[in-house]
Amino acid sequence: MKMNIKQLFAALALVAFGGTVSASELIINTDTSDPAPKKAFEDLIEGFKAENPDIEVTWNLFDHEGYKTSIRNFLTADAPDVANWYAGNRMLPYVNAGLFEPINDLWESEGLTESLKSAQSSMTIDGQIWGVPYTYYQWGVYYRKDIFEDLGIAVPTNWDEFQQAGATLIENGVTPITIGTKYLWTAAGVFDYINLRTNGYDFHMSLALGEIPWTDDRVRATMNNWKDIVEAGFFLENHAAYTWQEALAPMVNGEAAMYVMGNFSVAPLREAGLTDDQLGFFQFPTITPGVPVAEEAPTDTVHIPANAKNKENARKFLAYIARADVQTQINATLGQLPINSGSEVADDKFLKAGFEMLSGAEGGIAQFFDRDAPAEFAAEAMQGFQEFMVKPDRLDDILERLEKARQRIYQ
Amino acid sequence: MFPAPIERRALPLQWIYKVALPIALLLWLLPLIAVFLTSIRSAGDITAGNYWGWPTSINLIANYTSIFENTPLGKYLFNSFRVAIPTVIGAVAMSCMTGFALAVYQFRSNLLIFFMFIAGNFVPFQILMVPVRDLTLQLGVYNTATGLAMFHIAFQTGFCTLFMRNFIRALPRELIEAARVEGVSEIRIFWFVVLPLMKPAIAALSVLIFTFIWNDYFWATVLTQGVDSQPITAGLYSLNGQWIAAWHLVSAGSIVAAIPPVAMFFLMQKHFIAGLTLGAVK
Repeated sequence: MKMNIKQLFAALALVAFGGTVSASELIINTDTSDPAPKKAFEDLIEGFKAENPDIEVTWNLFDHEGYKTSIRNFLTADAPDVANWYAGNRMLPYVNAGLFEPINDLWESEGLTESLKSAQSSMTIDGQIWGVPYTYYQWGVYYRKDIFEDLGIAVPTNWDEFQQAGATLIENGVTPITIGTKYLWTAAGVFDYINLRTNGYDFHMSLALGEIPWTDDRVRATMNNWKDIVEAGFFLENHAAYTWQEALAPMVNGEAAMYVMGNFSVAPLREAGLTDDQLGFFQFPTITPGVPVAEEAPTDTVHIPANAKNKENARKFLAYIARADVQTQINATLGQLPINSGSEVADDKFLKAGFEMLSGAEGGIAQFFDRDAPAEFAAEAMQGFQEFMVKPDRLDDILERLEKARQRIYQ
Repeated sequence: MFPAPIERRALPLQWIYKVALPIALLLWLLPLIAVFLTSIRSAGDITAGNYWGWPTSINLIANYTSIFENTPLGKYLFNSFRVAIPTVIGAVAMSCMTGFALAVYQFRSNLLIFFMFIAGNFVPFQILMVPVRDLTLQLGVYNTATGLAMFHIAFQTGFCTLFMRNFIRALPRELIEAARVEGVSEIRIFWFVVLPLMKPAIAALSVLIFTFIWNDYFWATVLTQGVDSQPITAGLYSLNGQWIAAWHLVSAGSIVAAIPPVAMFFLMQKHFIAGLTLGAVK
């Protein structure tokens, strides 16, 4: 094969360029400081290094609380090449400020539009895709299977059965649902589910995006369903004084039988001595028949900051974290669910149940109230939910107030 | 003699005293006992709501090693020393000099300057929060242990000056005058005559300031953030996880954080008590 001078130079340049690549860098900032997430990222980065020995990886680990303020600083001032964050409206401020890089090209070239399809809508803003999701976890009703069996209660699948089950529990001196609303977000979880089941996913998302007045009759229908169980004494007394974690105690001690919660509650419940025979999981029951079933599953994501210096390497890392085998591995460590449809779910009763439930979620997957709605409104609304759970009579005032807040915040 | 020894009181009173004392002591120490018990519990115990009962398993070694192995507690402890020790040295050194100047020399604005040092102590420090934060930002020492120590030195010097000035005032003036007659320079008088006599005051003040600074939480959260610069009082919070507040680890961390000032108090009790009453009587 003949080579002219130009081609030779091109080849030489390629070799020289390859030489400089060996010194290339990748800086990753994450807030995964809890033991399991920390381990997952250690393994993840080790795996990436093994496949890309020419990239020098620097990993800055932030503590979870500090990260929320740090990220605003470092995205503008001293951007890393990869940063972790959350899907949905939680990333909206950074997308609007032009601090994240759209990566539609990566989704196309790596076939992520197929493998990560289930999360594509929650990663899309203004028709662009802004990151790669790597894990999520289900919400639903965790319950004391042994108490249900003792009292002859079957797992409720619709609202009537649910109310019936609660009534039986109350008769036997067991609080149906434990909850601690001190930090407000737990009440939002209950609201999300009742609203998703009463009015469906599309309505719920429009409401979170501020497109529907809070005084709408459909919102009222949701709140009235909620009011029914609040007034029937379904929820733990003095819940406003407890954190979600303190509200685990009645469940462990058998004083309460259900908890509307995320899958992260399983670990402490097991630690406190509940076995898999005592602890069960069921999908939140249907309320309005015919509404397509939607679920709540907050998604964690990685992004490339717009000011990153090594975007090529960052793309390689995002492609790596999107891979089926990699997601299988990190989620086994995290005890959560992989997004990639080719990944395997760890052998765990609750993860398998969650995976099955989310795979059948035809209605859609919501992130969580404070990730779907803008932060300022979410804070206002969650305050209202807590107040409503303590004083359900004030429903009208609360809805009026939220409507005013909507008009002020979303214009 | 006041107070009268309990042995001289009526017998029933003595009995009441002997019963009431341990009860009062127990009540007084109850919060500390609770923190200690929590620090040796398992996470499961806390989830199950066993806050006051006997721990189902005693995890003394596991919890206390875990805070050093799995959390940056050691780094926070180190930061505390990095802030407290320079502050003690800086504030005590400065106040020895200011105290000497204000106590020994009669110049016109002497009292005015002295009152300004004292007045600084009456300013509620919370109102300084925003200006001091802006100042450290502009000086480029925001979020550094140096910046925090510098602020503490500046702020503590006021109280230390009051303390030192009064102490030097109480020293016999004849010593200084005798040295002057001998033709000793002022700086050598300070170094060789006054400073050796100030040793008890320096010891007492060092213990006091160390404890003040170690226990500071307010400025630690205002002027620093993150594991690279924050002292332990502020860092304890980061022992909590994303979902779970690990109270057993936070309690263990609190006890570790309390050890240096408590140890300091017991080891240097004599100086500490002397420090509290120094200058109270002349």
